[in-house]
Amino acid sequence: MTVRTWLVLLIVMLGAFPACKKNGVRVPTDPLSRAYDVEQDWNDPQGQIPLNFQQAQGKRIFYDKCVWCHADATPAGPSNRSNLTPPPPLMNDGAALNGLSDDFMQNIITLGGSAMGKSAMMPPWGRTLTQEEIRAVISYARAVAQPPYQPPPRPGPQYSAK
Amino acid sequence: MPAEDMGKVTSRMRFLFALSSVVFVALLAISPVKDLRREWKIYKRDYERFAQTRPDTKRLLADYHPGIDQIWIPEMNVVDRCTTCHQGLMQPSLADASVPQPFRSHPPIPHHVKDWGCVVCHRGQGPATEVAEAHETTLAWEQPILPTRYIQGACGSCHRNALAETPKLNRGRELLVEFNCVGCHRLQGITRPEMLAPDLTSIGTKVTREWLYKWLKEPRTILDDAGNTLVNGVETEEEPRMPKFRLNEPELRGLSAYLSSLRSQPVAPYKFDPRVVAAWEKKPDLVDEGEVRFRQMFCTTCHALAVTRAGETKLIGGDIGPELTKVGSKVNPDWLVAWLRDPQGYLPQAQMPRYQWSDEDLYKVTHYITARLTDSDLLTNVPKLERVKPEEVQLGRRLFLEKGCAGCHALQGVTAQKDFGPDLSGLGAKNISQLEFGESKIPRALVAYIQAKVTEPVSVNPAARMPQYHLKPADLEALTTALLAMAGNPSASGMDRLVVSRGEAAFHPAGAFGELYERYKCYICHRFNGFGSDLAPDLSFEGSRADRQWIINFLKNPQTLRPTLIFRMPQFNIPDREAAIIADYISMVLQSPDVNLASVDRKEFTPQLVSMGKQLYEVKYQCQSCHTIGSSGGYVGPNLSNAGNWMTPAWIEAWLRNPQGLAPGTIEPRRTFTDDEVKSLAAYLSTLRQATARSEATKGAGQ
Repeated sequence: MTVRTWLVLLIVMLGAFPACKKNGVRVPTDPLSRAYDVEQDWNDPQGQIPLNFQQAQGKRIFYDKCVWCHADATPAGPSNRSNLTPPPPLMNDGAALNGLSDDFMQNIITLGGSAMGKSAMMPPWGRTLTQEEIRAVISYARAVAQPPYQPPPRPGPQYSAK
Repeated sequence: MPAEDMGKVTSRMRFLFALSSVVFVALLAISPVKDLRREWKIYKRDYERFAQTRPDTKRLLADYHPGIDQIWIPEMNVVDRCTTCHQGLMQPSLADASVPQPFRSHPPIPHHVKDWGCVVCHRGQGPATEVAEAHETTLAWEQPILPTRYIQGACGSCHRNALAETPKLNRGRELLVEFNCVGCHRLQGITRPEMLAPDLTSIGTKVTREWLYKWLKEPRTILDDAGNTLVNGVETEEEPRMPKFRLNEPELRGLSAYLSSLRSQPVAPYKFDPRVVAAWEKKPDLVDEGEVRFRQMFCTTCHALAVTRAGETKLIGGDIGPELTKVGSKVNPDWLVAWLRDPQGYLPQAQMPRYQWSDEDLYKVTHYITARLTDSDLLTNVPKLERVKPEEVQLGRRLFLEKGCAGCHALQGVTAQKDFGPDLSGLGAKNISQLEFGESKIPRALVAYIQAKVTEPVSVNPAARMPQYHLKPADLEALTTALLAMAGNPSASGMDRLVVSRGEAAFHPAGAFGELYERYKCYICHRFNGFGSDLAPDLSFEGSRADRQWIINFLKNPQTLRPTLIFRMPQFNIPDREAAIIADYISMVLQSPDVNLASVDRKEFTPQLVSMGKQLYEVKYQCQSCHTIGSSGGYVGPNLSNAGNWMTPAWIEAWLRNPQGLAPGTIEPRRTFTDDEVKSLAAYLSTLRQATARSEATKGAGQ
């Protein structure tokens, strides 16, 4: 064995080391496979919006309590929306809802329309739904809004109380 | 090398030693370098850099820790290192979709990650520190991560009861029951009911051999080329309950011969009152009159019929009983009369109520069914079947057991084939190595395995005995989710105490009411103290809500004022005596503890109160947005035009104070009325009466 053979062997061994690096395996990227809820939804006819747990709960509450007036059709058939003046906004009406802050939405759902200077036909839900559930409904409305909802920019450093 | 040179250190060797030492040191150095470049450390550094770009850097870095993070919950065997890379998981400020993964915070869920860890819900490998090992299946790690799409399956491995938050899982469990999976398989949380499919002990008296042949070859509900589910050629939402077994010609002949020979309870033709027969026999409108009666009795509450309107044929009606469009070509007319008079006489577990038939109605309706609900082409593709041969019957009897028919169908003298198929109670927790993929090309993953097995059993195992089902994509997903939930007993010891069991108490009252309750099968549609079904209003507290006389009127002549709702209460022809028994029982027993009927006296309702209530109703609270009085108002809540005759004042007051206290699922929100407002509204609503109250009734709706 000559020095040269040793050298060559060593260099080959060193060269083999990069092969030990592991390649990470990609997790499937289909957004719907990562959604909690992909069931049929009138507010998202194309079925493209992946909903997370909170938004899915909002959707469930919407179809239970809100759909009767905030949609043009209901699980029981016709909607009550046409009976009301002024007509309540549709759930996915981004043009009407995107401008309202989360706090305003939380308040009008909790306290009802008359408390916020809007139609008294919107009843208060604060004693029927929990604050958590109302937050879920708002997050759902934000998820399905057309045009899409853009959250307001965060002001300065935040020290969340949570 | 010459011998004299041994032990002599040459310069060349010195050089060699020096070189190999250098190489050795270099090799040793590789290990720490490699360690520095570990996958998780790269994520750690990336996170540190990412945190610098956030407005709340200080807070993010305060929670940062350069080593491996883990959530350790010894009593649940949880060692989850996921937070090593998913570092922003518990940072509320990283919730935006703009935050790159794996740093985004977890969307709000009822269980906090700190208390439960990650693997409990997501599966995968908690202790792993590499992306592939944590998420995917590798040789050493067997449990891949559960796609979020199916994550409700993980909810179900602890929550055995139906949660509102997991609709997909609940639907899947419903489907497992609906398709009678428990007929052949052992399934967690689903017990075998008394009857899964019709008892076939006397099937030979009901249908012909030809019909049986056709049914076995191609059950009524099929899937067409475009993937639509069809019942008798009409598109439907319903999935087939009787699946298609892959039977060949001799098998079809054998089974149809055997089944048609089963006639242990012969049917005696019913003797109609000769006066009825004489009066109706020759009438040209006998069949039309029968159809009118059929509709009036609300048979379609439970049974569907194909109806053609404006050129479009649709199935209309309920799915509690079988679809009846062609039943006239199926059943023996004598059997039909016997069945309608006493369904439980033929099938003790039948859900069909025992109607009070007059001979006249029975004559008209059976003639309508056998004359109109027919199809002359029904048996066109059935070959000429000769007389039943003894060897065919022999073969049929053998096949009945070999094909697992006795898994679902009861037959006198044949023991039920429980556990005919594999035990599925632990399927959701199976590792890939425990699944039989055979020669198939299915991706090696549990979800893919379950879906292939359910959609095309022969694709996994060509000799599969499992019949063919036709599932819509959404149902397939729900069923998969429910099967994934069957993860056996939770393995981690601490989780035993977390399992929420399913509880359901049967409500079967005794006495005269109990008899009528069983006869009219009230619980097939209504719910009583948690037992029954949700098709019709819950009657647990009906005695507190409805006036006794109103109940009697409703039972005698059920009607609705609301055309927008599907009204389903059948006309049972209940005699006065029975209506009184039912109304008495309801008013005395089905009471809510929150409603004290004696607490409110109608005499307190002064005209001032009434007019104030009207003001509140119309102006302050605008109740008309959801309720109708007379001809105006919304139709979310019940019509209140007859509220005074319908509801007790005590109920109205209790309801206004807290609707959810009386009916937890009701849509009406709980308000903050003052006591005076409650009194005034109750006073106003109690004055709302309709002159023709006897025949008009309103019912809670929208549920």
